[in-house]
Amino acid sequence: MKNYFKKVKYYIHIYRMILIQDLKTKMSFRADFLISSFSGIMLNAASFISIWIMFQNFSSIMNWNYYEMLFLYGFSLLALTPQLVFFDNSWVLCDKVFKGDFITYCFRPINIFFYYTFEKININAIGQFFIGVTLITYSWIKLGLDVNTIIVFKLIISLLTASLFMIAIVIFISSMSFWIINAKGLMDFFSKFKDYTRYPFTIFNNFFKFVFSFIIPIGFVAYYPSLFFIHTEELSWISFFGVFYGIILLYFSYKVWVKGALQYSGTGS
Amino acid sequence: MDKTIEINNLSKEYKVLNRKEGFKGAILNLFSKDYKYIKAINNVSMEIFSGEILGILGRNGAGKSTLIKMMTGVLKPSAGALSINGNTPFKNRKQHALNIGIVFGQRSQLWWSLPCIESFKIIKEIYSINDDVYEENMNFFNELIPLNELMNKPVRLMSLGQRVLCDILASFLHNPKIVFLDEPTIGLDIDVKDKIHKLILSLNSKKKTTVILTTHDMGDVDAICKRIVIIDNGEKIYDDKIYKLKKYFGPNKTLLAHINSNKIRDDSVVITNIKKLIDKHIQLIDYLSVECNNRWIKIVVDENQISVLKVLNLIQKEFDIDKIEIKEISTESVIKKIYEGKCL
Ligand SMILES: Nc1ncnc2c1ncn2[C@@H]1O[C@H](COP(=O)(O)OP(=O)(O)O)[C@@H](O)[C@H]1O
Ligand SMILES: [Mg+2]
Repeated sequence: MKNYFKKVKYYIHIYRMILIQDLKTKMSFRADFLISSFSGIMLNAASFISIWIMFQNFSSIMNWNYYEMLFLYGFSLLALTPQLVFFDNSWVLCDKVFKGDFITYCFRPINIFFYYTFEKININAIGQFFIGVTLITYSWIKLGLDVNTIIVFKLIISLLTASLFMIAIVIFISSMSFWIINAKGLMDFFSKFKDYTRYPFTIFNNFFKFVFSFIIPIGFVAYYPSLFFIHTEELSWISFFGVFYGIILLYFSYKVWVKGALQYSGTGS
Repeated sequence: MDKTIEINNLSKEYKVLNRKEGFKGAILNLFSKDYKYIKAINNVSMEIFSGEILGILGRNGAGKSTLIKMMTGVLKPSAGALSINGNTPFKNRKQHALNIGIVFGQRSQLWWSLPCIESFKIIKEIYSINDDVYEENMNFFNELIPLNELMNKPVRLMSLGQRVLCDILASFLHNPKIVFLDEPTIGLDIDVKDKIHKLILSLNSKKKTTVILTTHDMGDVDAICKRIVIIDNGEKIYDDKIYKLKKYFGPNKTLLAHINSNKIRDDSVVITNIKKLIDKHIQLIDYLSVECNNRWIKIVVDENQISVLKVLNLIQKEFDIDKIEIKEISTESVIKKIYEGKCL
């Protein structure tokens, strides 16, 4: 047990160190930093406007009104943030594996997954966090929901567990780089599904509902956990299941990733 | 001397999918069981002693990197036994990594956009290096090469030579028992190669570190190794003192010099001129072969008779030379002679 704590302390220490260095370099490319933060915000503004326009014409979508949609949107932004910020290096894994650069991560006396994944932090994506908080607060007030410690605690827990799904999906898909050459295409394909996380699942037919719940489990990113707070009449066992399912999926993807990394043999040059 | 690495009948096969082209092919590849096997290391045995600098020489694709990757615990051998200080590297990669240092010439392990010193500090934490040890090593490194200008430079702005020097220093930072250097001199100029040779020699003699170096350049092993192992097509074809090998070649070196003048059009005129020059001054024409191609002069010199530099001095008086290169005997010719049975 004591050893275990020592190990955790060691990893936190290393992470902090690498993080600070990474932030320092990011700051030294200030223009770069500002432009990419700005473009992130504009991207979100664009999708926000599309929701707004939609509700100029319809008063509700499958019984979800404007503020409920905003809540869902805000929830999804928040739940996707940890993946974007802390697991950004996953997106370039396929390149590094393909070109053979990944081998340099295998020489250190340290967990390869940790060493690779947390080498970079995508601090620009933190803008999305603030947009998410604003949207949730705004819709929360407009919907007249309760505010008390228990419900805030519930919100935080459900956000945290919801954030595990995108992390798990990205880790799993990126780990395919260790077996197939065109994992990049696969990554691009799956990142498109992100957009579906901000719709109420009642718009999907049974087939897609099933797919988005269990095969590509993006339903757990925003829709299912949101039901704890709004549209509670749609709440079912699935939302409760999601709390555990995220942990299981994350563990499973991590194991697959490590298995791939350990059998990685590099390239001939 | 103590054995530190023991390798017995070690083999490594890569399993490679026979890929099909196109979209349909890509789908088929996912399910295909159509593999071919590439035997990268075939039944190699050897012992490596504590504190020695062993040179592993071989052409491109001979299997050198594969052998190194197995010794570092990154690759699992297909067959045979590999033991380093009594442990099997692959079985406990992390523990093993604490005791070794690794440099792959083409790929830096330093953080690309960080100043070098920051990379060193992160490495210090990753290996849990004591402050005292770190200080002592940095001071020692500073005696070997001036660190001031290097350490504050981001790695991405370094020349290849500077980067490799830093990578080598980084690999010694945690006082490893063994350091693996995979083609550290690849793509470098003569003078940088020379710096790297000196650095490796001083690190090895001060720290008593076992150094295992791979190269396809005879010059590297000639400069720093006493013993060499030659690998070809995954097999060990030579394993002995380097001087024994050199006996068979004589101390020949090849001098390449480029003439910086457009006036000279006829290569054969250059050859006769040089031959005359040498005849007049040293009368050693028997021991030299002289060629000229596109204003590149190539002279093979027997260093027992005369030094390459003297010959260079001589031709510099007659021609305007702008580029020179001095080459050891080529690895290819060594390997060819070994197969012909001339060295054994
Ligand atoms: N990851 C790999 N997958 C398949 N074949 C490989 C791989 N790595 C190396 N090879 C092949 O194995 C042989 C030996 O390669 P390598 O050990 O890199 O040689 P060297 O380092 O001496 O140039 C070469 O034929 C090379 O193409
Ligand atoms: Mg190699």
